[in-house]
Amino acid sequence: MSDAPTHDADEFEPVDVFETTEMDLRPGADDCYKCSTCDTSCPVAEVDDEFPGPKFQGPEQWRLKRKEDHEIDDSITSCSNCMRCDNACPSSVPLSQMHNTARGEYVENQRFGREALSALADGNPREALDIVREGQDGLVERLRNRILANYHTSAWLASFMPSVANFVMNFGPARWAMAKTMGVTSEREFPEFADHTFREWWAARGGAQVENPDKRIAYFHGCYSNFNTPEVGKAMVRVYEEFGYEVLVPPQKCSGTPMFANGMLGDARRHAETNVKNLAAAIENGAEIVASCTSCSMALGQEYPELFDLDGIEDVAAHTYEGVEYLRLHEDLEGALGEASVEGSEFAYHAPCHARNQGLDTQAVELFSDLDGVAIEDVGDSCSGISGTYGWKEEKYDYSMEIGEEMFEHMEHAAGETGMTECPTCAMQMEHGTGYEIRHPLELLEEALVAGS
Amino acid sequence: MATETEALVIGGGSTGCGIARDLALRGVDTTLVERGNLTHGTTGRMHGLLHSGGRYAVSDQESAAECIAESRVLREIASHCVEMTGGLFVQLPADDDEYFEEKLAGCRDCDIPAEVISGEEAREIEPYLTRDVERAIRVPDGAIDPFRLCVANAADAEEHGARIETHAEVTDVLVEDDQVKGVEIRHESGPGKRSHHEPGTTERIEADHVVNATGAWAGELGAMAGVDVEVRPSKGVMTVMNTRQVDTVVNRCRPKGDADIIVPHETACILGTTDVEVEDPDDYPEEQWEVDMMIDTLSELVPILGEARTIRSFWGVRPLYEPPDTGTTDPTDITRQFFLLDHADRDSLAGMTSIVGGKLTTYRLMAEQITDHVCEKLGVEGSCRTAEQPLPGSEDFSVLRDYMEEFGLRSPIGRRSTERLGSKADEVLKTDDPNPVVCTCEAVTRAELDHAIADAGTDLNATRIRTRASMGNCQGGFCAHRIAALLHPEYDEATTRTALDELYEERWKGQRHALWGEQLSQAMLNHALHATTMNRDRYPAASDDGIEYDRFDAGPPTPEAAADGGRRDDAHERADSREDDHGD
Repeated sequence: MSDAPTHDADEFEPVDVFETTEMDLRPGADDCYKCSTCDTSCPVAEVDDEFPGPKFQGPEQWRLKRKEDHEIDDSITSCSNCMRCDNACPSSVPLSQMHNTARGEYVENQRFGREALSALADGNPREALDIVREGQDGLVERLRNRILANYHTSAWLASFMPSVANFVMNFGPARWAMAKTMGVTSEREFPEFADHTFREWWAARGGAQVENPDKRIAYFHGCYSNFNTPEVGKAMVRVYEEFGYEVLVPPQKCSGTPMFANGMLGDARRHAETNVKNLAAAIENGAEIVASCTSCSMALGQEYPELFDLDGIEDVAAHTYEGVEYLRLHEDLEGALGEASVEGSEFAYHAPCHARNQGLDTQAVELFSDLDGVAIEDVGDSCSGISGTYGWKEEKYDYSMEIGEEMFEHMEHAAGETGMTECPTCAMQMEHGTGYEIRHPLELLEEALVAGS
Repeated sequence: MATETEALVIGGGSTGCGIARDLALRGVDTTLVERGNLTHGTTGRMHGLLHSGGRYAVSDQESAAECIAESRVLREIASHCVEMTGGLFVQLPADDDEYFEEKLAGCRDCDIPAEVISGEEAREIEPYLTRDVERAIRVPDGAIDPFRLCVANAADAEEHGARIETHAEVTDVLVEDDQVKGVEIRHESGPGKRSHHEPGTTERIEADHVVNATGAWAGELGAMAGVDVEVRPSKGVMTVMNTRQVDTVVNRCRPKGDADIIVPHETACILGTTDVEVEDPDDYPEEQWEVDMMIDTLSELVPILGEARTIRSFWGVRPLYEPPDTGTTDPTDITRQFFLLDHADRDSLAGMTSIVGGKLTTYRLMAEQITDHVCEKLGVEGSCRTAEQPLPGSEDFSVLRDYMEEFGLRSPIGRRSTERLGSKADEVLKTDDPNPVVCTCEAVTRAELDHAIADAGTDLNATRIRTRASMGNCQGGFCAHRIAALLHPEYDEATTRTALDELYEERWKGQRHALWGEQLSQAMLNHALHATTMNRDRYPAASDDGIEYDRFDAGPPTPEAAADGGRRDDAHERADSREDDHGD
């Protein structure tokens, strides 16, 4: 080695210290000067007095941890992963990365099968029994979380018989049983499955209608646009084709958002492997990646490289955009909208927390305020409260509605009677709290810009 | 006021506290006096290494063998003060192969378990080690909390009838007819538990035998008795990192040198150290280059240190001693052995013994030998029990508990609290009162602080060393006032404020050497919060003394003009001309 000290920034990287998570985030705690801005911005801490807040969950807990110390406090399961703390922090503490990692570790610790088997193999049947007994506490909750987190799988199954699934999922006695046995709240209606998926439509129309080696995007539709709101996916395709883009729809799985929020990092990683492989290939093919869901673009753009070390994952992150964001960057969207008009409609727009983190919280209002025939109003910067799977949990439902209260009130006060947002679960919450129909900005773009729509 | 005691121990560091405990356990009527709080001198200013002996395995095998033996004892009797982290002697390409082999052989000669591992294995244990690491020797080093260790020794001494007086400075050693008769001390407040604002008193303590355990200050104390004690104080800097970059003790495997050790300590890491002889142990320069050099040099070993946050630096003074006429010029060459100076033999002055040299790891053994000596002088029979009898807090305990169920605490808080309190955890943490976390950096709850305050009075630095409260990354910015508030209403508002100021100043002292990057942000935030909420910027309107307006500029021409708040042309002009002076 040279005589000079060799500390260059490249050597600063999370490394394999904690067996279960392969991450040591203690150095991230260096950035925290305890100002507590994250705590004041946390929507869960505001309503849930038992929740110690993001500062404790993140930098404090990591700093107090020891290498051999795998215990993670169970309060981590109350974090809804809205990630507002990331945005609030004036000092770039990797809060959500710390939370996601801690949650992953917490869930990993709860897996008792392996430990029980090894205790059996060591000839300690009593210890094995104790491990199983302890592990059973919270087993149902874990199963419920796993099912909620793997929405991709349930939705895929449902897509074979969407109308039957719609009936069963919202059938009173079935919901009562789900609430009682699984802790899935019966207060909410499950979103309807569409009678065809986006991918079925895509295949039926024969794929891309425009070929253009110079302007290519790979569409990451995610689960919800595929199974529940294919109209958003279709709008996305038609708008981009209108601007002359060739749209690729690579094979893909869940972005991982609901899995991160439930600590299912193993599941998320498996899905990420498929996504990264196919999206990296699309980039190789000259495409940029565009998602219509702001949580999907958040996952690909931020959480992927923070949590996984896969070939090409940094590339995927660097090339990921949200649907409207990309067009605003690369096309004269305002010019096009200036010449367009739609039939009179008024919207109450809510910016999802994950859009806020990507700096996209004002784009819809800025874009549509000059569109002829449209009135759009921002309903404020509060969190909708559902945060994906959080608001679906029986024990979190009341908190979820309490967080959402401010948004509901502002929606009621806004002139528009139609809601608008980029995030599918925010849309569920907006609809649940107000009864409004909720649209996606891409649908309005389609209406304004695509002839015959 | 005059009191009597059989044995008087001067100095509340590890040696003094260890001697006081040993004497008390053998039934000797003992008094210990310390001019600051416990650990105030050198004990509280070290890197907290529990030596396996590996560091001395080549240069000083006698010390090495003592270290490994005593380390095994301390793991048993002081388990709540010890974390067995393990240690590595790491060889980099520039480091000599021959020395590595000598080190290994030395460890084996001294019965120190030592195992050679490859560079790759070393990086598996400590991933932030430089990629250049060639190989390493693994030894059973550990970390020890010198504060808890001293406090536990003093508490057990008190339990067995000893009197412990802190903030009690010796002002004179009483000598009559070549015989030390006792000392005169000045209590800063009290005597007894410290309470600011209580008037100080002086006291004459007559003793059958006096033990000078003042370490680096032994020369000054000796002078009061008219004897020469040739102690050679040597300063060393230690830098505290915000998090643990390493979880095992990492030593550079090369002959003596500055900046060659990183000790993981509680939530932090401590980098050490330097070795520079000083004239006066109370007055020596603390220089930034020492800190910079240490971070730079240790970054060769653990590169991430160059980027990582430093929360403070402190200097300690080693009580090195060498017999007269040894003539060593480099302080690193002075032996780390301890010396018992029997002034009766040496200086024909009966009734006093000085103890110099030595190190924390072997404090108990030193205390045992001195206690043997004192007992012989006093004619007391009785054998040493300190190697078997656990310290208070280190009786059987487990940190594996259901913290929420038992104490209502979140798991990392419960775990840290239990690790600190050891076997006292149940007594302290099981409370029906609300028990919020007061120091969030170090996870210290109100119950633990109340328990410490009951022992430490209004000395919040004494509470700090018992609990670690205010020793984390905010350095008291967010908790010093909350801790001080616990003194009220038992102590009045003015006392509480004085106690707060003292803690806050002490926290500031070490941060002065860490004011860049993140800790600078922290210090600025702390200042802004305290300036705006507790008037730390001394906004004059809040002062009782009234405002001396004439110390500002001339001001408006008449007092009435200022009071009406209206604009005055002449004031205007002055403001304008001032702006011009600044040239903007």
